[in-house]
Amino acid sequence: MNFADIIALALRNLRQAKLRTALTVIGVVVGIAAIITMVSFGIGLQQNIIAQAFSRLDAFTSITVLGADADDLLAMSEGRTANNDGEDGEDGEDASKPEAGSTAPMANAASGSATPETEASPANGAPVRPRRVLDDTTIAEIKKLDGVKFAAPILTFNCYTRFNERTRFQTIAGATAGSDPHFKNFLAGANFNDENANEAVINESFLNSFSPEAFRRRRNRRGGPPNGGNGGPFQTVSTKSDEERQRDAQAAIGKEITLLTLPGADGGQSSIFGIPLLSQSGSPGSQNEQGDDSRYEKRAFRIVGVLKNEGGVNISPFGNANLYVPMEQAKRLRDANLSPIERMGDALTGQSGYRAVELRVADPSRIKPVTAKLEQLGFRAFSVTNQLEEIERIFLIINSSLALLGGIALLVASFGISNTMIMSIRERTREIGVMKAIGGSDGEIMRIFFVEASLIGLLGGTLGVMAGWLIDRVANVLANQWITRQTGQAVRHVEFFSIPWYLWGGAILFAVVVSLLAAIYPALHAAKVDPIKALRHE
Amino acid sequence: MAGIENEMTSILEAHNVTREYQMKAENVRALSEVSLAIERGEFVAILGTSGSGKSTLLNLFGGLDRPTGGEILFDGKSLAPLSSWEMSRYRLHSVGMIFQSFNLIPTMTARDNVSLALAFAGISQSDRRKRSLELLDRVGLANRADHLPSELSGGEQQRVGIARAIANEPQVLLADEPTGNLDSSRSAEVIGLLDEMRRRDGKTIVLITHDQELASRYATKVVRLKDGRVMKGGL
Repeated sequence: MNFADIIALALRNLRQAKLRTALTVIGVVVGIAAIITMVSFGIGLQQNIIAQAFSRLDAFTSITVLGADADDLLAMSEGRTANNDGEDGEDGEDASKPEAGSTAPMANAASGSATPETEASPANGAPVRPRRVLDDTTIAEIKKLDGVKFAAPILTFNCYTRFNERTRFQTIAGATAGSDPHFKNFLAGANFNDENANEAVINESFLNSFSPEAFRRRRNRRGGPPNGGNGGPFQTVSTKSDEERQRDAQAAIGKEITLLTLPGADGGQSSIFGIPLLSQSGSPGSQNEQGDDSRYEKRAFRIVGVLKNEGGVNISPFGNANLYVPMEQAKRLRDANLSPIERMGDALTGQSGYRAVELRVADPSRIKPVTAKLEQLGFRAFSVTNQLEEIERIFLIINSSLALLGGIALLVASFGISNTMIMSIRERTREIGVMKAIGGSDGEIMRIFFVEASLIGLLGGTLGVMAGWLIDRVANVLANQWITRQTGQAVRHVEFFSIPWYLWGGAILFAVVVSLLAAIYPALHAAKVDPIKALRHE
Repeated sequence: MAGIENEMTSILEAHNVTREYQMKAENVRALSEVSLAIERGEFVAILGTSGSGKSTLLNLFGGLDRPTGGEILFDGKSLAPLSSWEMSRYRLHSVGMIFQSFNLIPTMTARDNVSLALAFAGISQSDRRKRSLELLDRVGLANRADHLPSELSGGEQQRVGIARAIANEPQVLLADEPTGNLDSSRSAEVIGLLDEMRRRDGKTIVLITHDQELASRYATKVVRLKDGRVMKGGL
């Protein structure tokens, strides 16, 4: 009997008990839908984090270099590493000699355990290696490294910002003139002309958060977060059409943004985060207050470029910054707006520098050599490429656990399949006997039932994938609506679920395999039917 | 195919065949050292009361069962060494079985019932369509091909059963009381059909019956069984 005949027979058997077949298939559908929904959520999460967010940061060409913190600097000033004592001190020193000449003085002082050998051996127990201070000299040094295309400090600060006669507390970031890799899509205008210009680049959401609607909403939501117009990690988006967005962006070009800082802010005691302490005459934040902000130093920036909002989840190193000023301006303003804690850190160490520098390499293959070189030079560098592997491993665990949960539903369904097959064989014992008597072999009988089970699995798997997809769609709409309600404004649509081909393909295959496993016992049972007993007169 | 040696050997032989069943503690002997030879083209009627072991003997000839002692030979070759798969091929190609209760598959049309036997032989769908109709035509049921067994009379159902039994051109037809559920005129029709197959196509017929008159009318040889032993017609 050929395979087509076996399929035809199996289909006929299934059609004869439509209700029973349907109920069995539903069991499989539920199991597969559960797996699809759960795993697609895991994969969606993974993709949102890895694919969208990281690619926006140019993850595969980006390295972040961390600056020295107080611990490192203290250790450095004592001329030794924090927990590098006796036993590995000696060979550490030996090994460090060859590189001593080529590294900067700061690195020499710190090179006790900075050699690749010590670093590679975990037995030494993670030596704390002081990092070098990140300042303009070191950035210039980094820039000269082979393969480095771009290097600039990550510089953000918070201060009161006035635009359109409204004032808000804003996070502001520094950006470089010319071609800053963070700026990709200008809706209107372009980047600054030079590092000292009184010019600003804004993000579309900046316009949204200063719109009258945003302020009205904020007033209505008392006790909300200080920048209540923001969608948190979700990019807010206007309901405007593309033409309207373009027009609004164009209209913003040339407008002025005023940053309010205390005059000669030099670590003065009268402000925190650039806000005068409460005993004084109130913050300039209340929008209707036109009065006494004469004490503030006002700096005006002309908008030269408007950036398009990108979709997905925002994990930019600039946090929620949607206003950018030229780097040199940002350095001055940041110094004026340092938080007391930051000030204390600087005072303690007598050092100052950037907390982090972001650099771009020419292509992804340069990530590893450049990272290695930076570490050799005494910097602590990391790239998301390293993190990516870790994240993918974590997601593998998460997705497997989710699949396992869904798999329980399928396990239950597999008992349903077994039961259906056994029932079916009981009812058809005579038929099996006839088939054997007229020349059907045990193998052929067995195959009919295996094919029957795999058809249940195939149908259940396919419908299950479709059901899972449907659940995903509905859940996605509901989740987006929920976010919109929570954040109080329209949020750029986030895709929470993803069903790649290997997920639905694998799920259907899995359903078939589970069905076949469930059919082993019934099929063997059918093959063993004794035709003489089966055909005995009724 | 019909070589000299073939002419000399019997088509079916039973040599000292014993079939015992384990029933709880005691052994039941359904057949006891039965020796029998059936020649090509014979119409053998096996007579006996119920419990005489005639169905057991037929199942052994049909390859549905194996003896606990002695051996069955088909065309001079023992069935004992055949594997389960080879036994199924034997049932498919060498013998055709006809049952008292017809044993048609109730959810399949007459044509599909006949087709099923052809499908097990690996005959293609298009050939099956043609062959099944030819086979039904041979039993005079071409016009009832698309009817379900429940829509056919008992006699018609048994003729479908005969069409199915001859589907793969076996040399031997084994009929286990094929007229047991039929009235006398339908019985005569069915037995007449079997006899026609013997005369026209040279089939060997083994018929189990307890209808003495029917046996004497058609049979070329009568075997009488009693309590699992051959009383008449054995070797």
